[in-house]
Amino acid sequence: MVDSLSNVIEALPNILAGGLVTVGIVLCSLSLGFVLGVPLAVGQVYGSKPARGAVGVFVWFFRGTPILVLLFLFYYGFPVALGLDISAFTASCLVLGFASAAYQSQIFRGSIQSLPQGQLKAARALGMTDGQSILHIILPQALRLSIPGWTNEFSILLKDSALVFALGGAQDVMARSHFAASRTHDPIAFYLTAGVLYYAITLVGLRALRQLEKKVYIPGYAAGGGV
Amino acid sequence: MRNRLKKLIFACSILALSVTGASAASYINGIDANYPPFAYVDKSGNAAGFDVDAMNWIAKAMGFTISHKPMDWNGIIPDLLAKKIDMVCSGMSISPERAARVTFSEPYFTIRKVLVVSEKSALTPDDILKGKKRLGVQRGTNEAEWLAQHRDENGWNYTLGYYDSAPMAVEDLLNGRIDAAGMDSAPAEDIMNRAKKPIKIIGEFAPADDFGVAMRNEDTELHAIINEGFKKLKADPYWEELQKKYLSDGK
Repeated sequence: MVDSLSNVIEALPNILAGGLVTVGIVLCSLSLGFVLGVPLAVGQVYGSKPARGAVGVFVWFFRGTPILVLLFLFYYGFPVALGLDISAFTASCLVLGFASAAYQSQIFRGSIQSLPQGQLKAARALGMTDGQSILHIILPQALRLSIPGWTNEFSILLKDSALVFALGGAQDVMARSHFAASRTHDPIAFYLTAGVLYYAITLVGLRALRQLEKKVYIPGYAAGGGV
Repeated sequence: MRNRLKKLIFACSILALSVTGASAASYINGIDANYPPFAYVDKSGNAAGFDVDAMNWIAKAMGFTISHKPMDWNGIIPDLLAKKIDMVCSGMSISPERAARVTFSEPYFTIRKVLVVSEKSALTPDDILKGKKRLGVQRGTNEAEWLAQHRDENGWNYTLGYYDSAPMAVEDLLNGRIDAAGMDSAPAEDIMNRAKKPIKIIGEFAPADDFGVAMRNEDTELHAIINEGFKKLKADPYWEELQKKYLSDGK
């Protein structure tokens, strides 16, 4: 027990550095998911038939394939076939980002569709183009409504990010804890440490997102079901 | 405009210099960081172990720079062929299957294959091989291959459980999910003597293996450098020192 404690204390700076890598992966993939997810949602609701079809295929592929399979495909599969050299970090961000884009697009789609249909017609009647109406009328409301659901995406991504340890060369919390467990032959101590660290990151992240939700809240416009 | 062009040429030449300079004398060694005492990650996150120190010494003696990259053991030869790494010096046993895809250095270390059981167990190697026992082994290793192949050939009847790393197999042994683990002798001794886990070695199960450094077939220059390096290392007192430092039986 005392040995475990000193083992963990010795290795803690290294594992905490892995925390930065994990947070980096989560932030990159959350951002990628957002940047792709919004146009995907808009395309799915307002797009032409081919556009809707394309979004449907993307969402179907990335929601329907396990993250671990995607990670192996994007790290060992495609790069080797194409002769590319992508790092474990890049592969992780791409896979988690694409998968998250698929999920995020569905969150945004739900909020867009929850808005009264008349708003788009009203915006057009005022002389706005379709693009302007979506950008200035629909999205500002839809994105605000999406935040509560969207915060879930953060904790899901954080936990999914632990899977990247399976890629050789990954340097996240789980990989470092796994190496430390192998060196000291003390798995309980290090997997507990990893668990606590993930929990702490979740807590801080969700607090930050709650603040964001409060900040962009429009008084009188109830989040989650306003008219 | 001319000034800009000059700058560009200057930048390009610096880049070219640094690239050629780096590729001439800088190599990446891929390691299985779950393989103490040969290769692991130390408490501050740096690669360490017998093989890592040996390669550091050789790099110094032969005048190249080396970095060590923890990789997944299962995919380490594909990674080598894909040029993510330049060599594998991480307790890799020379086997015909591997030698068909990569070139090995001269053997630098001989390792025994041992059966490990819980300290309280009264099982003999015979019981394990022929008594319908559950046997754990690391995936993608020579011993895994050997155990699977010889079970069928000899009519033995153990069930094999495949693990990510040898330490994981030992954890499961202590949890009672398997009856024995087949692994290399030095890691088993490390777990027994340094980590003080209640296990014991009850015998050998396969012919001893030789470790070699795996490299791509076409890198003939590197093959020569590594072979020469090991020759120098083995003639140096540091070789003894390494064995004392990392291997509990000193052999």
